[in-house]
Amino acid sequence: MGPGVIGLWRHELRLFLRQPMALPLLLLVVLLSAGSVWAGLAEVAHQREVIARIQPQQAADVAAVAASAAADGDPGNAAYYTHHVTWDPPSDLAFIALGQRDVAPFVLRVRALALEGQINESETYNAELALPGRFDWAFVLTYLAPLFAIALLHDLVASEREAGRLALLGAMARSRRGLWARRALLRSGLLFAALTLPLIVGGLIANSGWALLGVIGLAAAYLAFWTLACLAAAWLRLGSVSAAAALAAVWLIVTLVLPGLALVAINAAIPVRQGVELTLAQREAVHGGWDKPKPATMAAFFRAEPAWRNTAPVRGGFHWKWYYAFQHLGDLSVAEPVRAYRAGLERRDALTRQVGYVLPPVGLQLALHRLARTDLQAQLAYQDRIRAYHAQLRRFYYGYLFTDRPFQAADFARAPRWPEPPPQP
Amino acid sequence: MISESSSPAVIALSGLTLRRGTRTVLADLTLQVAAGEIYALLGGNGAGKSTTLSVLLGFLRPDGGTVTVAGTDPVTAPDAARRQIAFLPESVALYDQLSAYENIAYFMALTGHEPTRGAMDGALDAAGLQAEARTRRVGGYSKGMRQKVAIAMAVLRDVPVLLLDEPTSGLDPRATADFNALLGRLKARGTAILMVTHDLLGAADCADRIGFLAEGRIVDEVRPADGIDVLALHHRYGEAAAA
Repeated sequence: MGPGVIGLWRHELRLFLRQPMALPLLLLVVLLSAGSVWAGLAEVAHQREVIARIQPQQAADVAAVAASAAADGDPGNAAYYTHHVTWDPPSDLAFIALGQRDVAPFVLRVRALALEGQINESETYNAELALPGRFDWAFVLTYLAPLFAIALLHDLVASEREAGRLALLGAMARSRRGLWARRALLRSGLLFAALTLPLIVGGLIANSGWALLGVIGLAAAYLAFWTLACLAAAWLRLGSVSAAAALAAVWLIVTLVLPGLALVAINAAIPVRQGVELTLAQREAVHGGWDKPKPATMAAFFRAEPAWRNTAPVRGGFHWKWYYAFQHLGDLSVAEPVRAYRAGLERRDALTRQVGYVLPPVGLQLALHRLARTDLQAQLAYQDRIRAYHAQLRRFYYGYLFTDRPFQAADFARAPRWPEPPPQP
Repeated sequence: MISESSSPAVIALSGLTLRRGTRTVLADLTLQVAAGEIYALLGGNGAGKSTTLSVLLGFLRPDGGTVTVAGTDPVTAPDAARRQIAFLPESVALYDQLSAYENIAYFMALTGHEPTRGAMDGALDAAGLQAEARTRRVGGYSKGMRQKVAIAMAVLRDVPVLLLDEPTSGLDPRATADFNALLGRLKARGTAILMVTHDLLGAADCADRIGFLAEGRIVDEVRPADGIDVLALHHRYGEAAAA
């Protein structure tokens, strides 16, 4: 009676697990994967907790402004001193790949003043994390998993040849291809399981749902790539030491050197101004507004906001209408550089995606960040929502400013609210 | 000079030619081994002995000639041919982290068989491996003990063809005698046995026919049963090796 398919796999499993380094290696993968999942979940929980915690603080802040700065009913004071909180809650998959959420704000309090500076002022947030990146599951999969795949698979055939078993194995196996395929599948399958079991547990905790299947599919495809690379080394009949050295070199080139060179080339091909330069340009435009004649400022403002053209003219010295007009003109003055900045970032992103088609580690990172909604697209979408919200805020306050309506304490509650519900911590 | 067995051939090589680069390794090699026959192939280093086994196992593709193993062509159907063959390599390397039982179970599983513990004991008894060693990991085995595990696997295969590559090298005289006795039992079971060896005495002791291989072809063949003396055999082997 034959051993059957399951019997053959059972024999292969026992043989593999009896190897001295097999179990410790797999346990290390489980630990790294579990540690990265835990770190991701902890960071996501922290971000949710920050967003939830800011709600009562925001309410207290508005109440304080209502009680003091806006007590005289001046809408200019109310608009100037009131911060309005916005937030970008992490997705249920954000724990796998924190991406841009490390370096870009996920909470931003804005005022009805010039906006672009407020958005880009936060660009340096947590900058020390921008270079090494977070220890998240995407990092473990992209950079560490290939090394474990190489450790487990580099000598698949070479070890048998060097031990003198190759002829006996070849003579006894019903199918030699089947033998190597079974062994490669077993080793990469165990590695896959060690990587994804903590992920699945994390997904259940984070209630990630079916989207997790996409991540698992990507992990399977990525490990298949490295398994095929190891099989190529076997096909070339490399010795175990040569195979390990060659595969380590491939890992270095494919995951570090080429992506680094591609990044340098993309940045050189598409020069993009820093966000802080936009902030400075906008600040200079706003500050320059103090020195410009009021009629010219107001005429420019009314061209952009014609709805308020027929309201009472600005006379005398300081007036909040004039102040908010040159604040808005400050934004308009950098509108073109902002568009160019954004277009540059998107062009870089598009080129990086092209690179991702050629370099699996780059493609994997991009796909994981897209699934987790922690990529540049998600960051820009948050900025777009802030801009739309800021426009609502401006027009809300303009309604009082330009019609000379007093701003009462009860009016604070009428201010537009950030449209998204805060996440549950 | 080259004789054929009167029984139908289980192993049949005809006009086999194999070249590697400019070197001809096998040159018009013709050889037949019948069921229940032991054929010893003797030759010097590089004479083509191990290459012949590799062709029979389907590891190497010949440039010319025909080859069949129990009616199967290992060139066109290597997996099917190997299912008819038990092979004992010169240096038996097993998995050190497994016991004798586990090694046998693993290798037999590769062939599609799952022998019972009783069947394994029977084969290990026949091969002469002590019972107390069978559950120990083979990492601590001597060469002879490993050889016996491999022999047990060959016995368990119960296939029509047994190929042996220097089967008694490294065995002590007692183990060699035991091994030859085992070959006799397999022969009686109807197994066609082709062994390549340097061991003249062993070959003369157990083989039905001895072929002398030189430069890829059989240059002489004797039947020990015809009463040839070992010294003369030694001379002939030396001449063949020199050729």
